[in-house]
Amino acid sequence: MQTVIMFICLAVMLIASVAAAMLWSRITAAMCLALTSVSLAVILFILHAPWAALFELSVCAGLVTVIFASTISMTREYRQPDGTPSEYHVRFAPLPFILILVGVVLVAVVLISGFDVNITATESTTAVDTFKEVFWNTRQADILGQIIIILAGAFAVAILFKESTKE
Amino acid sequence: MSILNIAILITAALLILTGLYMLINTHNMIKIIIAIEIVVKAVTLILAFAGYVTGQYAVVEAFIITMIVIEVVVAVVAAGIAVNVYKNKGNMDVSELKKLKG
Amino acid sequence: MPAYFATSMYAFMGAPLLVILVLTLAGRKLAEKWALTVGYIVGIIQMLTSIIAIILLWQYNKASITFSQFWSIQANDGAAYFSADVFSLIALFCIGMVTFAAFYTAKTMIGKKAFQFTNLMMVMILGMNGLALVTDLFSLYVFLEITGVSSYVLISINRDNKGLEGGFKYLIMSAIASAFILVSLALIFINTGSLRYEDISAISSSWMELSNPILILVAFVFLICGFSIKSGLVPFHGWLPDAYQSAPAPVSIMLGGIVTKMVGVYAIIRIVSNLLVESDTVVNTCFMVLALMSIIYGAVAAAGQKDFKRLLGYSSISQIGYIILGVSTGNILGYIGAIFHFFNHATFKTTLFVNSAAVEQQTGLSDITKMGGLHKQMPITGTSNIIAFLSAVGIPPLAGFWSKLFIIIAVWQTNGAIIASIALVASIFTAVYFLRIQKNIFFGPVNEKFADIKEAVKGFKLTEIALSVITIGCGLLFPVLLLLLQAQGIV
Repeated sequence: MQTVIMFICLAVMLIASVAAAMLWSRITAAMCLALTSVSLAVILFILHAPWAALFELSVCAGLVTVIFASTISMTREYRQPDGTPSEYHVRFAPLPFILILVGVVLVAVVLISGFDVNITATESTTAVDTFKEVFWNTRQADILGQIIIILAGAFAVAILFKESTKE
Repeated sequence: MSILNIAILITAALLILTGLYMLINTHNMIKIIIAIEIVVKAVTLILAFAGYVTGQYAVVEAFIITMIVIEVVVAVVAAGIAVNVYKNKGNMDVSELKKLKG
Repeated sequence: MPAYFATSMYAFMGAPLLVILVLTLAGRKLAEKWALTVGYIVGIIQMLTSIIAIILLWQYNKASITFSQFWSIQANDGAAYFSADVFSLIALFCIGMVTFAAFYTAKTMIGKKAFQFTNLMMVMILGMNGLALVTDLFSLYVFLEITGVSSYVLISINRDNKGLEGGFKYLIMSAIASAFILVSLALIFINTGSLRYEDISAISSSWMELSNPILILVAFVFLICGFSIKSGLVPFHGWLPDAYQSAPAPVSIMLGGIVTKMVGVYAIIRIVSNLLVESDTVVNTCFMVLALMSIIYGAVAAAGQKDFKRLLGYSSISQIGYIILGVSTGNILGYIGAIFHFFNHATFKTTLFVNSAAVEQQTGLSDITKMGGLHKQMPITGTSNIIAFLSAVGIPPLAGFWSKLFIIIAVWQTNGAIIASIALVASIFTAVYFLRIQKNIFFGPVNEKFADIKEAVKGFKLTEIALSVITIGCGLLFPVLLLLLQAQGIV
């Protein structure tokens, strides 16, 4: 059952991101990206990363989409940089064929070479580590890094989104 | 789940390809940021897969969460720069960003 | 090992955070007034701490000092902690030096944005210090991104068209590079189950026997592409001259002086020296080819540039090529040459960027073809420019000579005479474009327009003199260092 859900999610992810690339409208593209995030969250959940799935769902599918939507509404354009929809679609028409071609080549390479990913997971590693312990006890440098990058984000917003006063 | 392992890696490769193709072929700054997000999604997929293969779920979970935080900050900064370009010029066309030349 | 030694390490990750906190709490007015002063004090503290730490390491005969920032984690297995060895301390010294130069010259150029500028610079310094201190590839990526995010915002801090364009280009290239790096980290993780430097060094000698050797090959490809973009090696260099040219002067001092080298070159040296011990691997050959291309292309392209800062950007591509060439030899002489050239490049490139800022401030121009005869009016800037460029070209006894000599000897030993002589010939091109700067800006007849130009203000003069003294001093003291290395049996 899980395997079937995985395959469906992978397919949805790929199709949604191709749609995000090929659709002319920016807001639809952002929505497709959100769909990609949602299916990625399901995959993360199946791959034993529930907290990461939660973050992916709330932050990437939620917050990032809000950022995109507000940016797009702030910048309604007089003239689309990508030209008319038909011009845009012509430029992106080769993409599905390229993807199918590359996909077929990769599958062929895997079949011919007999490549396989060797699972190295052992029972002992899975039993001991819980996320909470690992994160707080061993990733101190990353936690410090997260604090600093959030600070950087705050300063960036303070500079870039400030209403420009006439200087 | 051997076929599934291969499927995950191939999907990730195709996602990266989609993102890069979109990055090259669009002139819209918002679309460029979306392209980068697609590539980042592929990276998240590979990272989660790495945790699954090695059984180190917790470590990889910490990686992914840190990465998501960073990703959001980068997206915000990129959107901020795009909004400012729009305010200055009235559009977000990257093909017009050609001020800097030798 | 005295206890205060580990405590002193708070100067690197703690001091900038404290500055951000204090400036934010102090209130806008007070912060605007003191921000830049506090900034260069941080630079001085960092330089002093790293010198003291190097001396202490020497005295106690230790290779590195390990410490954690908030709470002790050394008892935990597989923890990502901080650690400082001689190379990271040299890098930290360079960061301190460039920070000092950037803040000391920023006073007249940054104007009303002093508060925000200082905060972001502190974030950038934290990012680079973290890069120098981490012992885990994933933490390395985290600090790469911190440095990156603060540089995009700093480049576009004035929100003018040029700055936004340079910032956006840098952001896009850098985001792609980070994604590539992360893919390769994930693939390495599949094989090793850990990303700590000491754990991944296991894959160096026997990667064919690992569980998934093909994935490691793919990982190497992504790793090389990612870090080549970050350090601006040809053919991934597109963003670099744009970013340097568009940034405000103090930011381009920072970018050209240290940021590109920390995010690209430092990381490459760390990874290559940890990941790949053997000298004849594929990765080393790839880096050697990229380095040679960068050396030649950077020098040739620099010769045709008109904008001072853009020219320095191309010159950086060429010089970074030399550092990577030294690393790619894989022997100890090459590493020493690369690390010493890393230091020298930070010194002379910072001098040159300070000079470009001084010239731009006094004349209001950055187009070198429109200037001329400024040496009479700006003798200190002109002289420090000569010293910096002689060091870049590699004229004895200046510091740049020794590092280039080491790199070329190392290349000769491992890769033969042909590649060494290519590197040597390209060095002459360096002389060509620097002579062109010198002739166009400082020598020749005085341009009527600039008859009443004066020497740059005090901050510039002091920085130029201090950096020139470091360049000459290191060059003269290098034989002593050589004797010390010989006593240790390294050379």
